[in-house]
Amino acid sequence: MTVIIGIILLFAMVIINVPIAIALGIIATIGIGASHGIANLVNLPLSMFEGATKFPLLAIPLFILAGALMNTSSISRRLITFISALIGFVRGGLAMVNVGVSMFFAEISGSAVADVAAIGSVLIPAMKKRGYSKEFAAAITSSSASLAIIIPPSIAMILYGALSDTSVVKLFVAGIVPGVLGGFSMMALSYWFAIRYGFAREDAFDLRRLWKAFKEAWLTLLLPVIILGGIFGGIVTATEAAGLAVLAALVISGVIYRELDLRHLRKAMVEGIMQTAIVMLLVATSAVLGLYLTEIQLPQNFAKQIMLLTDNKWVVLALLNVMLLILGMFLHGAAAIILVVPIVMPLIKQVGIDPIHFGIVVTLNLAVGQQTPPVASVLITSCSIAKADIWAVTKTNVYFIGVLLAVLMLVTYLPAIPLTLVDLFYN
Amino acid sequence: MLKPLYRGLEVLLETVSMALLVSLAVIVVWAVAYRQLGITMAWYDEVASVLLAYLTYYGAALAALKRAHLGFPGLFNAMPLNTRKVLFVTSEVLVYGFFVTLAWFGYVVLEVMHGETLVTVRWASLAMVHSIIPIGAVLFILAETLSLPEAWQRVVQGTDAEAEEIERAIREATEEAEGRP
Repeated sequence: MTVIIGIILLFAMVIINVPIAIALGIIATIGIGASHGIANLVNLPLSMFEGATKFPLLAIPLFILAGALMNTSSISRRLITFISALIGFVRGGLAMVNVGVSMFFAEISGSAVADVAAIGSVLIPAMKKRGYSKEFAAAITSSSASLAIIIPPSIAMILYGALSDTSVVKLFVAGIVPGVLGGFSMMALSYWFAIRYGFAREDAFDLRRLWKAFKEAWLTLLLPVIILGGIFGGIVTATEAAGLAVLAALVISGVIYRELDLRHLRKAMVEGIMQTAIVMLLVATSAVLGLYLTEIQLPQNFAKQIMLLTDNKWVVLALLNVMLLILGMFLHGAAAIILVVPIVMPLIKQVGIDPIHFGIVVTLNLAVGQQTPPVASVLITSCSIAKADIWAVTKTNVYFIGVLLAVLMLVTYLPAIPLTLVDLFYN
Repeated sequence: MLKPLYRGLEVLLETVSMALLVSLAVIVVWAVAYRQLGITMAWYDEVASVLLAYLTYYGAALAALKRAHLGFPGLFNAMPLNTRKVLFVTSEVLVYGFFVTLAWFGYVVLEVMHGETLVTVRWASLAMVHSIIPIGAVLFILAETLSLPEAWQRVVQGTDAEAEEIERAIREATEEAEGRP
């Protein structure tokens, strides 16, 4: 009964637009106050402080700062030029470039909206000029931007790792194969569209042009190498890799490119701080809610109820996929992770699902959620840039969502896809 | 009259948050460098975590000032104007109620912590460190109050902060793309 009242209250508050983080805090406050008395609310500030001090979450502001520093040095222009020279010669080249740039850009500023705006404002007008339909341009930009969520460094993975006590490093490694698989599948689908609708080729492949573009962009490409190399090599943790990324970004933008625009940097930092704080306040209030939920044993009871229905881990994964897909339509990624992960983790452990495997499943579900209205800020941003109707774009985007769902199914039912690299490096 | 106060709080929160973020980055890089040299910084984990908590609450107040916290404005904006006005007031009362409670109990906790210190930094009292919770709550209330007129305007017009963010991000990215061909 308490749980049902709590859920109704939460929905009511979300519908009247109380920020989700605060709605969680209010539910926890009412719950603790009602069950243990007002005096026990001293746990509220203590839990909210502890919740905001989770060490692995330090990586979030640092990756965002590295992204802000790199963004001051025309990173999107350099990447687009390089990837155009690399794969632009294929039919439908600009669509391929779009996917390739998104895979490198990978949520670099911490704000998916800012990233898709940065890429889309350059590529969508260019695609329209080259005869691509505005609906296709918006769809490919939006879907490939969401794919970036599973390619490290991923803020969603850091959040999942911190909430489920799972290694963020292993999650990063596990995301690589599904990310590359999704990227190549989207490129293949773009090629099919290109043949069907006669999309243009860009300039013919020219090794000298590629070399010139590479010389301009190689330092930008170095950042993922530093992050992944450091982590793969076992030299640094995810948080330390984020710290090194900041240092590398500072040297590349300020010393080598000499393009450190302080006004732009300040703006990007403020934006990054807000993105961090929005996520961290959610984490902090969910810590209080977690305290209350543990007291009423909700996660344990949830696991028990599901186990009464089935203890088959593949069926459990199917049920969780459906739940996450529905939640992803209505909640932002961070909010969905914070609400779901603490509740389902006991179930995941009881049915024998690897938490790393489940982390990639959760992240992929959220990538699909970014593409499905009503809450789909990435899709809405792409549509606004392309000046295209959201439903018309969705008709084309369904194919790309299909790719994301196919990757999700493969990752869900073939755990070797995300876990082989993890086993190779760490077991 | 509220405009200068809004701008003052904005500058304060931005400055403190940026200083915290830069300090955090310096400490982490410093710790990596020292570890490579075989030197362990015992205070690193504890101090970095505390800085993250400070960044969270100063940043949360800044996000409140810009009304950027994650919500679900879709259904709310689809409601009739008078319903929106009533629900907006209800929502604000709930937000104020939560942060007033947090500020009060955050202050009560500080008295209990009297005399305790951080484990690795003995001169830093636990009360001083945990004071970020009542301070953060008061800053949040202040930010919520100063952004109230703008938020009310949005309620009347039926727009939301997320739509404005998307519009702003596109405008800035387009200017950037045009400025750097």
